Amino acid sequence: MTILPSTTSPDRRPFGLVGLLPWLFAAVVVGYAMVVGGYAATVVSFALIYAVFVTGLNLFMGFAAQVSFGQNAFAAIGGYLSAVLTASHGWPPLPAMLLGIAAAVLVAAIVGFPTLRLKGHYLAMGTLAIGLITYEITVEWQSVTQGYMGISGIPPIGIGPYEVTSDRGQLILLSLVVAACAFAAARIRRSRFGRALSAVAGSEEAATALGIEVARYKLLAFLLSAGFAALAGSLFVHVVGFVSPEVFGLHMVIVTFTMLYVGGIGTVAGPLVGALIVSLLPETFRAFKDYQDLAYGAVLIVLLIYAPRGLASLFSPRGRS
Amino acid sequence: MADWSYIPQVLVSGLGIGCVYGLIGIGFCVIYNASGIVNFAQGAFVMLGGMITHVLFARNGVPLPLAALVAVAAVAALGVAIERVVVRPLWNRKATMFVMILATLAAQIVVERLTLIAVGDQPKTLPVFTDRPPLMIGPVAIGYQLIWIVGGSLAIVAALAAFFGLTRTGKAMRACSINREAAALQGIPVSRMLALAFALSAALGAIAGILITPTQYTAFNVGVPFAISGFIAAIVGGFGRPFGAFLGGLLLGLLQALAIVGFGAGLKNVAALSVLLLFLFIRPSGILGAAK
Repeated sequence: MTILPSTTSPDRRPFGLVGLLPWLFAAVVVGYAMVVGGYAATVVSFALIYAVFVTGLNLFMGFAAQVSFGQNAFAAIGGYLSAVLTASHGWPPLPAMLLGIAAAVLVAAIVGFPTLRLKGHYLAMGTLAIGLITYEITVEWQSVTQGYMGISGIPPIGIGPYEVTSDRGQLILLSLVVAACAFAAARIRRSRFGRALSAVAGSEEAATALGIEVARYKLLAFLLSAGFAALAGSLFVHVVGFVSPEVFGLHMVIVTFTMLYVGGIGTVAGPLVGALIVSLLPETFRAFKDYQDLAYGAVLIVLLIYAPRGLASLFSPRGRS
Repeated sequence: MADWSYIPQVLVSGLGIGCVYGLIGIGFCVIYNASGIVNFAQGAFVMLGGMITHVLFARNGVPLPLAALVAVAAVAALGVAIERVVVRPLWNRKATMFVMILATLAAQIVVERLTLIAVGDQPKTLPVFTDRPPLMIGPVAIGYQLIWIVGGSLAIVAALAAFFGLTRTGKAMRACSINREAAALQGIPVSRMLALAFALSAALGAIAGILITPTQYTAFNVGVPFAISGFIAAIVGGFGRPFGAFLGGLLLGLLQALAIVGFGAGLKNVAALSVLLLFLFIRPSGILGAAK
């Protein structure tokens, strides 16, 4: 049972020096990208978007110890709704993003209700199926999604005439979003809700005996996670200005799980650290593009076998398995 | 639009692909019964079966039957390798089911990407085993490859039934699936059975891949859809029942063939996945009931 988060109350002390290290690392990387700009800024921007997604994944899988291989479905719903509404129907970005997130959460509620009753490999396969169905629909529903061609000409995030178009502007905006997400995750973890999730993670029977409505909390965590995923999907399409089905395919599942495990599942800083490391590493040998997914898969296997609690756990005194 | 006079023809081809799904589904069950593990790398075996045969046959001029045999043996060896390198360490650590799924899914991606690097992304195919015009039964054309697929699958199912029912090793594997600890106490080498289950399952996947490749094509990324169809077959048949899985595969093949007529080929995977979700939500123990 090594992936379970600590079931004791979360640490209430202010951050120690060691606990601060992951945030320091993130600040240095983002700061560097901010100074250098250009390509480095683009890479770090993508990493921050992934960090939003993985933060949501971590809520459901780290805090509540549930399984979902299909969160990419909600990123796709958020992303495509944003893209279609802004590029094809002329909506401003912000309402489109909000509607995208709302729609993703609604879909999550509809599919989550029956799906979360499943356990074990049934749950794993059920959620994987949801992700794959969404992928197939984005490929096949060409009148709306334009299939593999994708949708281009998506406007950047902005209000009225004020648009965030520069590399640095996007980086600042995304950093703020990620900080807000991490803050929310930290608060959730210490809240009554977070403690309930951690009880569910420890033992569903015991949690039920304590009067926790397990099914309700699982569904809530799933919806929150879907909301984060949709936000990440929306951010992606507005930052890149283009979306195609491949963006939210199986590749995304593997990459985000690698990030979650590299950073440390069940920790607050883990998703951000994992997203940054996993995004930056392949850039150092960018010439080998075909080898990227290979490397992700191999790294994931090695981590699962030798460091199941991730790298961030090395910084945390509570991170022992 | 849909022309319903095609239906018998469509059902016949659905039966062929259904046999293949069934073989893959049996592969899932064999590993699951021996270990309780659901091996998400199953698709890699299917893809490699067709791919290795293609490489040996088309690039190196090895005769087709020999190429197929070598491919099956190589994929079985890969199955054992995955069991040793990926599954065994996690198994020894008593990792959770979820970690095991993720690790095997990652193994699937690794094999897929290595194949992409080795042979490129162009689809490959094999010649049909018997190159003659199809048999005509009324308006229905039955290609010789279909006969190979159905005949081969039935022969394999029969061989498996004999293996599990008559041989010492087969009986030992069944004992492991009933109760691993009790099996170990009887002196059955449970861990060797796990390796054997991976070899057997990989070989089944490879055979399925070789049989189906002449009617479709194979490419580095065909594995996952095949694995999912095989998994659906296993669920529909009641997980852990090898012969239920074969039946489930046939059913899925037929349903998918009808879905192609009704909604177009593009949505065949959506149809199959919807069948999966329906079964998971309404009757997760499958049509025959789960094995346990």
